[in-house]
Amino acid sequence: MNHSQFLVSGFLRAPIYNGIGRQINQLQRVTLKFCKSHGSSQGMRNFIENNLVDFAKQNDSVVLYVKPRRHRSPVIVAEYLNGDRKWMSCHNRPSEEILKWLSLLSLQAGDTEPIRYRKHWHTDVPSIQGPWNPFTHKNPGHIIAEYPHEGLGRVFKAPQSATEKLLKIAKKRNESENKKE
Amino acid sequence: MVFLTAVNLIRSRGPDEWWRKRKIFKLAAYFYGRRRNCYSLAIRSVHRALVYATKSRQERKSDLAELWKQRITAGAAQHGIEYWQFMDGLHKNNIEINKKNLADLAAWEPASFESLAKISKDFVEKNRNK
Repeated sequence: MNHSQFLVSGFLRAPIYNGIGRQINQLQRVTLKFCKSHGSSQGMRNFIENNLVDFAKQNDSVVLYVKPRRHRSPVIVAEYLNGDRKWMSCHNRPSEEILKWLSLLSLQAGDTEPIRYRKHWHTDVPSIQGPWNPFTHKNPGHIIAEYPHEGLGRVFKAPQSATEKLLKIAKKRNESENKKE
Repeated sequence: MVFLTAVNLIRSRGPDEWWRKRKIFKLAAYFYGRRRNCYSLAIRSVHRALVYATKSRQERKSDLAELWKQRITAGAAQHGIEYWQFMDGLHKNNIEINKKNLADLAAWEPASFESLAKISKDFVEKNRNK
């Protein structure tokens, strides 16, 4: 079972994408889907008729799409600069409520959904003394060593390979056959 | 002619069947083959997956403890001391750092770990002569 289906996981990080230069509106585009005839979309239709153009003028950085879909319930889909997407049902919602929700979405960033922290801390400097490496506790004498060196230049005897074992057996057998002859 | 009997033979499992099964299919989204599309196969796989998830919460604790123990053993071996001697020396000197942090020290702060290993080694040496 994939836990990213229930809860997206991520690392802790500071939301430093805003406010360093200037405040940037994080909402990228909004898609309003509604039905032209069904009663559940009446609030949405009223909103589109009366309030949509003013909202667009106030939030000029947001792209608004209006999508009429037959026999479907009204929906707002908001997409943000970090790629996240918010889906909101507007079934039987009046136009004032839709305006309020849209205003809220325009003020939010994309990462308001809770995530499962893989680590409950974050550092840019995980190690102060330097992380362990295979040469940390080794004597650095090998750097200035002059070869031929008794200790460092010793030969490691490798264990007998399978080929060598077979050759040894074959040799023994040949010798014993020669002896018989 | 109107046939009324045939209608009585249709067995409806209830109006919410689609949603009931959807709950299972949502959990089986990334399963292999027919296990993500066929309900009778999916429900078995989903139940097993849930059981595994529950059991592994206990296992994760022991898995991580084993990992930390391995790392401490490796770190202590670099300084010529065994795991039990290392831990014993720390505890007898009232150093109650937990295994997670000892493993982190061994990996990220080797100098601090070396000083801890030295404490344990001195303790071992002192008690050997007794």
